[in-house]
Amino acid sequence: MEDLVRLESIVKVYPPVVAVDDVSVSFRRGEIHAVVGENGAGKSTLMKVLYGLVPRDAGRIFLEGEPVNFRGPEEAIARGIGMVHQEILLVREYTVWQNVVLGREPMRALGRMDEAEARRLVGEKIREFQLNLDPDAVVGDISVAARQKVEILKLLYRNVSVLILDEPTAVLAPQEVPQLFAELARLRDNGRTVIFISHRLDEVLALSDRITVMRRGRKIDTVQAAATGKEELARMMVGREVVFSSRRTPRTPGVVVCEIDNLSVRGAGGRERLTGVTLRVRAGEIVGVAGVEGNGQLELVEAIIGLGKPESGSIRVQGRDLTDEPILERRRLISFVPQDRGRMGASLGASIVENAIMTHHRLDSRFTRLAGLLLDLPFARRFAQRVREEFSVSMSSERDPFRSLSGGNQQKVILGRELLLDCPFVLLDQPTRGLDVGSIEYVHQQVLGIRDENRAVLLVSADLEELFLIADRIVVMHRGELVADLPVEQATMEQVGSLMLEGRARAS
Amino acid sequence: MTRKILTGIAGILVALLIGALIMLAEGYRPLATYAALFQFSLFGLSPLATTLKNSVPLILTGLSASIAFASGPVNLGQPGQLAMGALAATLGGLFLHLPAGLEIPLLALLAMAGGALWSGLAALLRIAFAMSEFIVTLMLNMIADFFTAWIIAFPLLDPKAFSPMTRQIDRAGWLGEMGGFSGSVLFMAAAVAMSWFVFRRWRAGYEWRISGQNSLFARLGGCNIDRNFVSVMLFTGALAGLAGGLVVMGGPHRFLKGLGANYAWDGVMIAIVAGSGLIATLLYGLFFSAIQTGSLGMELITDVPSEIAQVLQAVLVLVIVAGREFVRTALDRAEARRQARERAA
Repeated sequence: MEDLVRLESIVKVYPPVVAVDDVSVSFRRGEIHAVVGENGAGKSTLMKVLYGLVPRDAGRIFLEGEPVNFRGPEEAIARGIGMVHQEILLVREYTVWQNVVLGREPMRALGRMDEAEARRLVGEKIREFQLNLDPDAVVGDISVAARQKVEILKLLYRNVSVLILDEPTAVLAPQEVPQLFAELARLRDNGRTVIFISHRLDEVLALSDRITVMRRGRKIDTVQAAATGKEELARMMVGREVVFSSRRTPRTPGVVVCEIDNLSVRGAGGRERLTGVTLRVRAGEIVGVAGVEGNGQLELVEAIIGLGKPESGSIRVQGRDLTDEPILERRRLISFVPQDRGRMGASLGASIVENAIMTHHRLDSRFTRLAGLLLDLPFARRFAQRVREEFSVSMSSERDPFRSLSGGNQQKVILGRELLLDCPFVLLDQPTRGLDVGSIEYVHQQVLGIRDENRAVLLVSADLEELFLIADRIVVMHRGELVADLPVEQATMEQVGSLMLEGRARAS
Repeated sequence: MTRKILTGIAGILVALLIGALIMLAEGYRPLATYAALFQFSLFGLSPLATTLKNSVPLILTGLSASIAFASGPVNLGQPGQLAMGALAATLGGLFLHLPAGLEIPLLALLAMAGGALWSGLAALLRIAFAMSEFIVTLMLNMIADFFTAWIIAFPLLDPKAFSPMTRQIDRAGWLGEMGGFSGSVLFMAAAVAMSWFVFRRWRAGYEWRISGQNSLFARLGGCNIDRNFVSVMLFTGALAGLAGGLVVMGGPHRFLKGLGANYAWDGVMIAIVAGSGLIATLLYGLFFSAIQTGSLGMELITDVPSEIAQVLQAVLVLVIVAGREFVRTALDRAEARRQARERAA
């Protein structure tokens, strides 16, 4: 097999971070090549350099032996290299074929689109690659997995020979993954090259021919998938051994701490987003909320913390009715780690201290002087240092801007701030999203730790593996309803997966 | 911090250079013009005192805009708040007759209350009817403008005057000069110090700052966003109102037509140039005042029209605001290339 694309000594610096550090790698015609690494290892950046989305600071790129220099995605696509991003960018109101031809429509005279020809061309591509899509379906109505296929189809319609997919399985339910893989394998057999970015090792091993491992911007190695295993890959990714098994010790939960009764929430436009959710979380128990994203998890979290107003139902913590209380009153009882660090969990431009003392500054009088008028800055700084020590945050000075911390360290500060509030109920919304393996392990340890302190934990996660690793009970959300409530010992991933996809009705 | 100072100084130098080129193109002598400009604004006790006095309304309205912008609310009502503050101080000065030691602080407080009333109205409309303060404060500027114009032309018109103006306020409310420097500078300095302290050290200021950067985070953290919005509006309205009061008390001692001039809009401009930084607002306010003050004297001894000051201001704003972003990306780019070279070697 020949090298189709060769990257040579690529360097990309985002001061002060060296995102890609002297990486050389080549991709062959007709192979599935996985690029794996922790978050922040430089996989996406390397691919964006190849795709012409970000300019490189050093290095060369060869396509079929000839040096190329794409100044933008258009040029890359014109030479047969296309990329599907993590966020799907389609016009929801348009049909599948309209989305696919958008920007490259077959034309008739006088600038009119030849709709019949466009439909025919798209239909042809769907048949050629057996994509199982209806060209006339409106994109807003089809599943996330199908939308992803539309993105791939868009590139095939433009005749690309190299497809780069950035974490394509992140938005899929476990059941949807095999079909995607079958389709990708078919692309390979048709002579296309598939470059597949991921950090899920099982998938990578199942799908790819060769695997390139990156760590901290450097390439560690490129190996044959057949000749390696999960443990070896993990060691290369992290630089040390990683534990994959649950460290959960069985525990009898205590009294009920959080009671949610019959909670319903209407979204914009009056659509019901949450329907009659009833849920109990006990002291010393981790309840995991599973579900495909967009099935009401966010609405549940917002209703609990007080961002949205529920239509009906009640929320009680330690017997206190919080349904109509302002956020500050809720925060006396609820520690909250949101899913979106930069938007909800922190102010990136403020200093680390200023981020660390949020909420404490209102609830704990030691943080202020003169009856709450002045902040006690020395106390605040000592508190930030305490967070640093107890949650092993690596930072140079607590007065540095929060954005100067790595993602893992940002999350540690947020986690530290929230856990030191000493609330009986802890609400965690995707607390490990976007973190590297080491930080994920750390967060899991902390969460198990607060369970052992007899606090009640509600953990919303899109990562089933995570739920099975640390939760005691798993509840499944589907279209705004809780469709199952299972002790983790009695649940299997396949069962939870099909509940996530199809709800109660067809699961059994 | 150092980078901010350096870009500021570089921006000023580049702007002066562009101004010099414009003067050359118009056939004037730039060096002599600049010498005259700064001779009448900075060199010597009296020019310096004038520059400081003129800077008071610029800095206070600038501070008002900076604190508002950095905390979230888009308060663009400084012109109206300044006018209402001036009116409140004038009313107090016309009808109250107290010893100076009481009269002056009282008039200053009245001015702040007048400004806060006007911004508070916008805040109220926002809280009660979700009306954008951006548009409401702008509209209230018009209302304040015409309302004060009517007051000084009819109910409070000085019978001896030939153009709309009130009578002079009680002499006890006049801000005198101390060693050549206007007493209003003292008030301004106190207001700047107090604002900085509130903004950087108070718990409320902490919440304002965080809300300005990320209001959702502040809300989830338990900050009362509505209450903070109202307090920021009142605080910044009071600052702009104080500017109006000090203009009356330190200057004509009455409300006359065109009193606010362009102070408040210049203040908003200064806040933008300063990137809503408090200390930067103070420094740029002084610099802009120096240019405006010097331009009047410059006109006396050179044949360059004083409008060149406006040209300089405009160039300054463009160069500094555009330059800030440019310098940041250029430095990042250079750093990236340096590290890339290091790695390649």
